Amino acid sequence: MNWKKWRIAVAVLLFAGICLTAAFFRSDRDTILEFGMFAGSNWDVANADSCIIIDKAIKKFEKTHPGVRIHYYSGIPKNDYSEWLARKILSGETPDVFMILSNDFDKLASLGLLASLDDRMSQDEDFHKSAFFQTALASGRQNGQQYALPYETVPALMFVNKTLLNQEGFGVPDNNWDWDWLLRICKRITKDTDGDGRVDQFGTYNYGWMEAVYSNGGKLFDENGTECYIHSEQVAQAVRYIHELSDLNQGQKVTQEDFDRGHVAFMPLSFAEYRTYKTYPYKIKKYTTFQWDCITLPAGPQGDNISIVDSLLIGISRRSCQKQLAWEFLKTLTCDEEIQMEIFRHSQGASVLKAVTSSRQAEEILRQDMEASDRVIDHTLLNTVIENGIEIPRFARYGEALALAESEISKIYEEEKNIDSSLKIARQTINHFLAQ
Amino acid sequence: MNIKRIEIPLVKYLMLFLNWGMVLAVTGLILVTTNNIRDSYIARDFLDRAEAVPWKPGAIFGICVVLMGILTLSFVLREIIQFKDSRAEAGSLALDFAVSIGIVCLLNFNYNGILLWVFANVIFHTKNSSGQFLFMLLAVLSFVGTDYGLVSINYPLYSIQDYISYYNAGQQSYILGIYNLLTSLNMVIFIIFCVLVIQEQRGTIQEVNELYGKLSVANEELQQANIQLQKYAVMKEKMGQTKERNRLAREIHDTLGHTLTGISAGIDACLATIDIAPDKTKSQLEVISGVTREGIQEIRRSVNRLRPDALERLSLEYAIQKMVEDTNALTNTQIFFDCQVQSLHFCEDEENAIYRVIQESVTNAIRHGQASRIDIQMKRRDGDILLTIQDNGKGCEKMNPGFGLEHIRERIALLNGTVVFDGTHGFLVDAIIPIRWGEEYD
Repeated sequence: MNWKKWRIAVAVLLFAGICLTAAFFRSDRDTILEFGMFAGSNWDVANADSCIIIDKAIKKFEKTHPGVRIHYYSGIPKNDYSEWLARKILSGETPDVFMILSNDFDKLASLGLLASLDDRMSQDEDFHKSAFFQTALASGRQNGQQYALPYETVPALMFVNKTLLNQEGFGVPDNNWDWDWLLRICKRITKDTDGDGRVDQFGTYNYGWMEAVYSNGGKLFDENGTECYIHSEQVAQAVRYIHELSDLNQGQKVTQEDFDRGHVAFMPLSFAEYRTYKTYPYKIKKYTTFQWDCITLPAGPQGDNISIVDSLLIGISRRSCQKQLAWEFLKTLTCDEEIQMEIFRHSQGASVLKAVTSSRQAEEILRQDMEASDRVIDHTLLNTVIENGIEIPRFARYGEALALAESEISKIYEEEKNIDSSLKIARQTINHFLAQ
Repeated sequence: MNIKRIEIPLVKYLMLFLNWGMVLAVTGLILVTTNNIRDSYIARDFLDRAEAVPWKPGAIFGICVVLMGILTLSFVLREIIQFKDSRAEAGSLALDFAVSIGIVCLLNFNYNGILLWVFANVIFHTKNSSGQFLFMLLAVLSFVGTDYGLVSINYPLYSIQDYISYYNAGQQSYILGIYNLLTSLNMVIFIIFCVLVIQEQRGTIQEVNELYGKLSVANEELQQANIQLQKYAVMKEKMGQTKERNRLAREIHDTLGHTLTGISAGIDACLATIDIAPDKTKSQLEVISGVTREGIQEIRRSVNRLRPDALERLSLEYAIQKMVEDTNALTNTQIFFDCQVQSLHFCEDEENAIYRVIQESVTNAIRHGQASRIDIQMKRRDGDILLTIQDNGKGCEKMNPGFGLEHIRERIALLNGTVVFDGTHGFLVDAIIPIRWGEEYD
């Protein structure tokens, strides 16, 4: 009898305790969702308004989710963000939702710190995969699992010095131009203008074999970073083509200074840089001596006018206790057209949603800050460049592998080696590195 | 034997102490090193080297301490309180196993020696030796199965080595050295423990064998004694017969012999005088007739004296009557004795039992029941005597063991009888006693 009474008493006490705790947490405390973000632009351009979009998204989210507050630390510079996030992760305070830098994505996903989004994506009726640019969406995948959604995307473009081209009797090339077209222009433009015997006007600056490989339909590595394709025909063609272009310079090194003074016709630059330097206040600081514009990169014989597309990813911590709320917030940031439109207003990249990037409104926003004479990038063109673009590989040792490939190829250029056979040897070296 | 009984608990306490140290050291090292890594801003580099990172090092430390506390508590309960119920003991050991698996998982298999500790307890509490060997095998299997190197092939696990590699080479070798030393020490102690348990088991078996040997020797001796006793009994019976025969012979010689001698001498005298003095002969014959009659009396007396016990004892009926009369005279309680059995001559044990049952019941009725009337009835049905003693006292709801009821029951049970007590209306003792009528004396 006594034992029974004791058990009932304990059960009642426990129940009361649980009820009290539940009531305490419900009534007095908002659910707090931690958001990890860095200040400034992901594209290494100046950005004063970095928090505006996030603040708007938070406001919108908190309005539709009463009792939930989003907390973020402001003012972490991009350079420190990786370390900041790592520190949070190590001490078990990983934010529920956080931005992921390109270099971190693979490591975080393979450490199992990112929640897989596949189930939520397929079960959530408000979520439509097809609304995203597939390139951007694919950048958040690893081993067939979606670990992050893109928030903002930036394709690479080709900077064109209009003044110089006009001076030499060329117009701005069409957006479907090719390698031969570029080579033709470069052959004419590259020359010694002041008669000191040294070439001082150049065709390209910073246009390397990697850009040429992408626009020739090639790629350097497979998705998982286990195989190198440096020996492929597309790569070999690109390497040969760049060799041809650089031969025009007769051994002269093209510098940033040459470019800034308007002595170079073409330079690859990101959409973010384009937007920054085209608009006030930066347009009066940089490239003021000449008129310029942006077009696609030239297509190789086997490729298209495509280039690399870089996306800023946002993921959910696998250790988050509020995964559903985190998912809702992630959707607000990435799938909400209103918020995504803010990217055109307050950031330098492009929206990851096709509907937003290809909208008239986006084009209007881009036009607002530009001079009437400037040609705004056509929204359909932007759409194709992003959609067909090539995502930056995100396997763990991509940086090291790329550096190895670059050093192998620069060796080929410097030592004037046979390109085809050298590339085959280089492939073995790189594969050996990848297999380690 | 005594030395081992001290050694085994000593080894267990040592193992517990060591495991506390290891768990605290591993979780503490992770906690401290995490803080160091944070303070020296190399967290990102650390992530690059790591295969996995622990979930909240502080929480892991706390939870591990709590789980170790549970293990210690269940150990102390087992050692000091000692569960009576073997199921409770098995339950506590199963709980230990679950908790230790929890600790091993929390530590991401960086330390799994805690399993050896749990199995040491399991082995200690397993009674049969084949079960002990099975658990030793299981211990080794689970120890190998939860090895960091093995598990980390399939699952990403954080590694204590990664944390140790934060420190400089000198410190690293110290930490690694201590870590490996303690891990090995734990294993060595476990092996020592197993050896001690096996030895103790062997010792117990030997002891049992020795005792068994002694027992069989004693059994044999007992059998011998039994046989001798039987021989002695036969001898004693023969001696009794001889003695009895001697007594009969003496009796016959003393009475019959004497009388017959007298008669024969008298008749001889009569034969001599019958023709000369018929009157004298006649009177002589009358004397002889008297002697003969006396002789017959003498023989009857003699035969009566030869009956072994009947005349030596008071009759049961008389004893009961005397008790009834004494009680009626001395107390206010009236006893009515109704005996429907013709003759109350049974064997001594039967008579004793009946008398004691009646005596005890009457005493109870007066002392505990304060009865004013007691009815005692004896009937014969088939071969049984039905004895009922009913009083009009208070009776009782619960049978109090102090009433001597157990004695009554035992006495009657010895005679293969049954007895029922009922305390609802006064107190009733209702006994059925089988009687060995065949040996009845009359």
